[in-house]
Amino acid sequence: MATQAIEATRGGGLPRNWWAFGVLLLPVTVYFFALQERASLAVFWAVGIAAGFVIQRSRLCFVSGFRDLYLLHQGRTLRGLIIGLGVATFGFAMIMGSIVPNPATGAVPQDAHVLPVGIATIAGGLLFGVGMVLAGGCVSGSLYRMGEGYVASWVAMAGVMVGLFALNRTWNWWWDVTIATAPREWLPARLGYTGSIALTVLLLATAYVATLWWERRAPAFAVIPIKRAQAAPPANVQDDVRAALQRVFRKEWSPAAGAIALSLLNVMLFIRYRPMGVVGEISRWTNDIAAKVGQPVGVLKGLDTLAGCAPSITGDSWFTDGFMMNGGIIVGSFTAAVLAREFRLRIPRQPKRYVQSALGGVVMGYGAGLGLGCTLGAFYSAIPSLALNGWVYAVAMATGAFAGSQIIRRLA
Amino acid sequence: MAESTVVPVLDVRGEICPYPMLRTNKELDEVRPGVAELDVITDHPPALSTIPPEAMKRGYGVEIEEVREGEWKIRLFKDS
Repeated sequence: MATQAIEATRGGGLPRNWWAFGVLLLPVTVYFFALQERASLAVFWAVGIAAGFVIQRSRLCFVSGFRDLYLLHQGRTLRGLIIGLGVATFGFAMIMGSIVPNPATGAVPQDAHVLPVGIATIAGGLLFGVGMVLAGGCVSGSLYRMGEGYVASWVAMAGVMVGLFALNRTWNWWWDVTIATAPREWLPARLGYTGSIALTVLLLATAYVATLWWERRAPAFAVIPIKRAQAAPPANVQDDVRAALQRVFRKEWSPAAGAIALSLLNVMLFIRYRPMGVVGEISRWTNDIAAKVGQPVGVLKGLDTLAGCAPSITGDSWFTDGFMMNGGIIVGSFTAAVLAREFRLRIPRQPKRYVQSALGGVVMGYGAGLGLGCTLGAFYSAIPSLALNGWVYAVAMATGAFAGSQIIRRLA
Repeated sequence: MAESTVVPVLDVRGEICPYPMLRTNKELDEVRPGVAELDVITDHPPALSTIPPEAMKRGYGVEIEEVREGEWKIRLFKDS
């Protein structure tokens, strides 16, 4: 396999910078403070930290999953995501099955990401796909890159907030025109759990095979082994422990390993609370800031009927579950990057990159608001929710990412 | 090669995906077509798995060296 031969493995030792483990102080301290306030804050913080860590270690980039398919004919990341979706599908089905044992009754598990599916889903997915490729990272991807020190991702996140502001100002129009009347299609209501899981797995398997077929369409090339400095083979238990630590903290994980770990976190969070999502919270930040500078978004319709990443408004405290989750992703990724000795402030030197990240962010933010979520909430948590909106959003996003890839080809 | 010359350097630090790879391709295809050796400096870890296959498609061998924390030199070379 071409991709295996080029899998990044680097030499160097962990113990030399053992002091780097001091970065763990921040997540641990915040955890105990959060625990005194409310258990859910601590749990969302811990899951956010773990998610940031997992995504950084495996470089699980949703954008590259789609973009590399178009630009490089590489499907390794997307296949990782597909495997992760498969794992989460079974986990979510177990949880939903205990909430709604008989789906034929018409009941839908309240917290599952079963969302109205219609024009807003398609338009949101298309915009999101274009925007994320331009910005060089989706919303959750930008969160983890912020922690790794990418200045462009901070700019993209500011753009996302502007985009979400624009969407929230137009939300009531979208609500009246399409979202309010769009149907919510939860597959088990028609097919039962068994049928829904079988259909989901079949579609995932088809997508998996399609990436293999697509890779084969690329012109073949000779793979030359990459030269690297080789570490000495382990000689004793101490070396073995060091090697084990390096596999976790220093070497790159495969996308599949990262996606499976992320799915397990998602399942655990759903068991206790609800599936992962990051956009609803960023939408709340946007609305809160807008109100503070005298541009309130006003009353948004229909919010209490929507699960997932619908826009939200600030209640009595800024420190919500979502805040802990999003903050946790940034801090978790920062922690992982420092331990892997990969943290750096990365400052783009070409001014056009800032413009591009900001504009990409705005388009992506608007799309995320409209499509009721990002790659996490409307895709990675929606397909395992056995919801039709997850698949519609995925196809729209893939199409948008294709268009985005055509644009950036010209921007190099 | 007859005489040794200074290896040209392409510095793509600060660039996010996919630009380290796209700019390397552009350097190999348009700026210095057929160049025998090229050093690409990057601080973007994912570029370590996108630049090599693209260079291999163009017939280059690849050597990766970690210059310092979070910074790598990817040497691309043609065996002559």
